[in-house]
Amino acid sequence: MLEKIRENLEKLNEKMEVMIELQKHGRKDFQPLPEAPLDVMTLLSMPDHLRKTAMTVCRLGRATAEEIAQQTHRARAVESAYLNQLVIMGYLKKERKGRKAYFYVEREGQG
Amino acid sequence: MSMGKIIAVHSYKGGTGKTLISVNLAAILVRHGRKVCLLDLDFRAPSLSTVLKIEKAEYWLNDYLNGTCEIDKVLIDLSDRIQNKCKFFVGLANPTTEAIRDMTAKDRKWEMRALGRLLALRNSLLNDKAFDYLIFDTSPGLQYSSINAIVSADLILVATTLDRSDADGTRRMLRELYDLFEKKTEIVLNKVLQDVSPKSGKEEAQAKIKDLYHVPLLGVIPCFCDVLRWKGNAIFVQERPEHPLAKILNEIASKIDNDIT
Repeated sequence: MLEKIRENLEKLNEKMEVMIELQKHGRKDFQPLPEAPLDVMTLLSMPDHLRKTAMTVCRLGRATAEEIAQQTHRARAVESAYLNQLVIMGYLKKERKGRKAYFYVEREGQG
Repeated sequence: MSMGKIIAVHSYKGGTGKTLISVNLAAILVRHGRKVCLLDLDFRAPSLSTVLKIEKAEYWLNDYLNGTCEIDKVLIDLSDRIQNKCKFFVGLANPTTEAIRDMTAKDRKWEMRALGRLLALRNSLLNDKAFDYLIFDTSPGLQYSSINAIVSADLILVATTLDRSDADGTRRMLRELYDLFEKKTEIVLNKVLQDVSPKSGKEEAQAKIKDLYHVPLLGVIPCFCDVLRWKGNAIFVQERPEHPLAKILNEIASKIDNDIT
């Protein structure tokens, strides 16, 4: 029961982070942008704080906000917000597995 | 976590000595007993097949990045070329005009996948195959393939000269490329006229470079006419171990090896 509440709270928390992030950027529509390739030129043109997060996902391949935060030495909540922002921008994909959310770069057609 | 390291040798302009540095650095590290893999990522002007006199390869790095073969198919064992105890492998870029044309016409999506495959080498070669060093020889300037190599590397060696446009471009790249990716970067100053850099002025040169580029100076290579006469034949330090250039390259390799281990 407690576990269930905690799970829901975490989901809620994450949704709020996305909304806060969206509001900061003054975007009213919640439509994610179409998928965009996360190549090095895109990485170069990103603001510093997002580049750090995106680079870490590239390096780890697939990771949770917690794992990214360990690498960047920033707070988990901060990384979570940046990661969700990168998902909205179409650069990252997000997949839920139980209580955990994994972020990764979609590189289809790769062996 | 792997102990091995990936070094990308890059420069702003062409002809600054990237290939000479990569090949000889690789050979010296092998002689130091390291397991080394040298990869030609200069797909616009491949040169390792000529320098190492390998007539043809069954698979190229082009194929690996295209996702049509795995990395072990590409690697060629050259351990017997170096008199010592350790392993030396190379991966070549396809030098045919058709392949060069094909590589320059790739789109962003392909480049993104290529980055993924370069990043995967850390796992397949450093972790699984226990290489101590991967050395990337890259194309000069801001090429996709070079930036992919830089993003994948632990250390960037920047070959530069005292040429004005080269120095300006190198400075820009330090600020607007390597810094943004938070990469450890070191300078090798090449083709320096002897009278510009007398032995006593070594510290002065060090300070000057530090002032100009804000990164450490790993080594200074004077201009050697007899190296030019050598015409990029084979592995220099193997053929001419007593030459002053071999001594300088040895010092550079030792600095890297001591720094990292």
